[in-house]
Amino acid sequence: MSLLIRNARIASEDSTSLRDGDVLVEGGIICSIGTGLSAPEGAKVIDAKGRLLMPAMFDAHVHFREPGQEAKETIATGTEAAINGGITGVVMMPNTKPAIDSAPVVRMVLDSAAKNSRIPVYTSGCITKDRAGKELAGIDGMRGLGVKMLTDDGDSVADPAVLLRAMQYATEFGMFFASHCEVPELAGPRALNEGVVSYRLGIKGTPAAAEEIIIDRDIRLAHAAGAHIHIQHVSSKVGMETIRWWKQRGDVKVTAEVAPHHLLFTEEDIGDFDTHYKMNPPLRTKADTEALLQGLIEGVFDLIATDHAPHTPFEKSQDFVSAPNGITGLETALVSLYHYFVATGKFGWDLVVKRYSAEPRRMMGLEPVPVEEGKPADFILFDTEAETTFSLDFMRSKSRNTPFLDKTLKGRVDLVVLGDQVLLER
Amino acid sequence: MPRKDLLDIVSLEREEIDCLLDQAVPFKELFTRSVKKVPALKGKSVLTLFYEPSTRTLSSFEVAANRLSADVTNFAVAQSSIVKGESVRETVETLQAMRTDYIIVRHSRSGLPSTIARMTKASVINAGDGAHAHPTQALLDAFTIKEKFPDPTGKRVLIVGDILHSRVARSTSTILKKLGLEVAYLGPGSLVPKVGPENVLRFTNYEEAMKWKPDIVYLLRVQMERQDVQYFPSLREYHRLYGVTEERLRRIDGEGLYIMHPGPVNRGVELCDGVLDYSRSLINDQVENGIAVRMAVLYWLKPGGEVVG
Repeated sequence: MSLLIRNARIASEDSTSLRDGDVLVEGGIICSIGTGLSAPEGAKVIDAKGRLLMPAMFDAHVHFREPGQEAKETIATGTEAAINGGITGVVMMPNTKPAIDSAPVVRMVLDSAAKNSRIPVYTSGCITKDRAGKELAGIDGMRGLGVKMLTDDGDSVADPAVLLRAMQYATEFGMFFASHCEVPELAGPRALNEGVVSYRLGIKGTPAAAEEIIIDRDIRLAHAAGAHIHIQHVSSKVGMETIRWWKQRGDVKVTAEVAPHHLLFTEEDIGDFDTHYKMNPPLRTKADTEALLQGLIEGVFDLIATDHAPHTPFEKSQDFVSAPNGITGLETALVSLYHYFVATGKFGWDLVVKRYSAEPRRMMGLEPVPVEEGKPADFILFDTEAETTFSLDFMRSKSRNTPFLDKTLKGRVDLVVLGDQVLLER
Repeated sequence: MPRKDLLDIVSLEREEIDCLLDQAVPFKELFTRSVKKVPALKGKSVLTLFYEPSTRTLSSFEVAANRLSADVTNFAVAQSSIVKGESVRETVETLQAMRTDYIIVRHSRSGLPSTIARMTKASVINAGDGAHAHPTQALLDAFTIKEKFPDPTGKRVLIVGDILHSRVARSTSTILKKLGLEVAYLGPGSLVPKVGPENVLRFTNYEEAMKWKPDIVYLLRVQMERQDVQYFPSLREYHRLYGVTEERLRRIDGEGLYIMHPGPVNRGVELCDGVLDYSRSLINDQVENGIAVRMAVLYWLKPGGEVVG
């Protein structure tokens, strides 16, 4: 397929300014970038005037619920949701049922992805068998199938000795660790932050300390083991500052991610027990949100990841404590980042490209996908003037548990190209 | 403008609270008559759905509904399909199909009555949900205080005990603040949240609290069943530090303070035996007023709203 995109404004991770140009793709490779390029015979030509051309996003933290909870999401529906949001690569978390804790389950996931997905799907593997925190999972078998990230996401590894041994063992194989940070004994029913809202609603909250203790503990363990530790979905200001402190020391490899919902919402949004704002770690205070945004701008956070966590409407319609944690994010992330931050001047497109496209790929040992000559085509067109309404018709995820349901935000993903395939065109 | 549901005190306007408290006055007068019944809710069905044990709140609602001539059914949770794993949504859909007009619900989960209210056209009355809210208790407390202090503005209420787990503390302090009273909390540091409603004072010992000159000491039941971890060393120590001991009762008597308690009472824990015979105890008034206030609530609500969730 030949594809010529004319009059685009091209974004990159290392420049705050956009450059204008035409982009010609042939055989899945960006073969030239310039002005006034002529279209080869039979080429598909798109006039992108006023629209933004940028590397496709990559989400290093998604829950696709397959195997075991396919009523919530499958690899097929999850990856279509990703494409709908301008994302062309994902890393699945292993808290499926059964958990992804051995080579056979990894094989099952990769087979399904090969059959059902139009984008690459990577999976992380458990640190411990069935995420129970006791015995080490089948680490070498998973590594042999390409697993690089080990995590018991959804829970911390409660016993630090188990985690330390896992780090000492798996680091030898070039694997790294991702931590869901939470002391279970402090976590209450894991429904919301301990603070004014938990008091008002009469639900025992989870103090930020529950997260901050484990952030510090796990980085210390990685320091001791010489491991690479990646801190997932940071929600607290002190947690962010702890990561910054460790990074400044410079003697441990630590990376960290922040989720759009922790940048956008606070505990006050829970209102009258709205389960669409129930997630783990919970939404915290305005001071936390502002600190996280600052941490993202200053580079404390290496990447943005959604923690896409689909649940059925039935589950989310239960009372606040009973309802499961998590919201979907793949389809709303990029548009909401644009609407609330880029369009308002909080940060530029370069940050979005760096933190949500290039760095997550680098963390997974993949090459970033800049819009440059000779690179594989892996990009999107984004219309900053258009709007997106997150209606049920729009959504490709099986689940609809998002605070953005039926809301309209500025910005729209118009085109997703991967190799010689146009995956989405609006 | 009447509402469909009564879920908490926070969302009630001052005018609505006044309206409910005023309405309870003639209903209480009814109790002195030989026929204690009016036909206001004749033909309406009231269903009590109590997932938690209760004596006084359940029977108070039943008596209130009966005195309004409604048909009252107690949904026997322990004998229902709920014990077979039926979800709350399924239960409520069943009740919806039965065209129940009022559902009075108590549950250990905070927010569950709000969830139910979104699922049904019936009027939902929160009869206590977790540590969240107990609006009719708050209304009956306010009614009881107004009987003693017709203009309660500026009066001081000291709420003592397990604030953290108490839906009564949340709802009653909220209504009292809305009515212009001053409220303070006293209790162990582990049971008095540092964050909470604004303009509520916090005391750590009785002496300090009494210097504040309260008009009412409102004792909360120590809810051992809600305490998943140890919050204080022993009940004996609790009584010594935060209970109304005989010595404290003498002082309270000397200063002419009223005592309130939502019941049931743990004797020898939050209060000594003598309090129950104390002449300025309002505990029995609270029980009687509960019926009048709940009649006012049933009379005021208007079933038939939208199902939104």
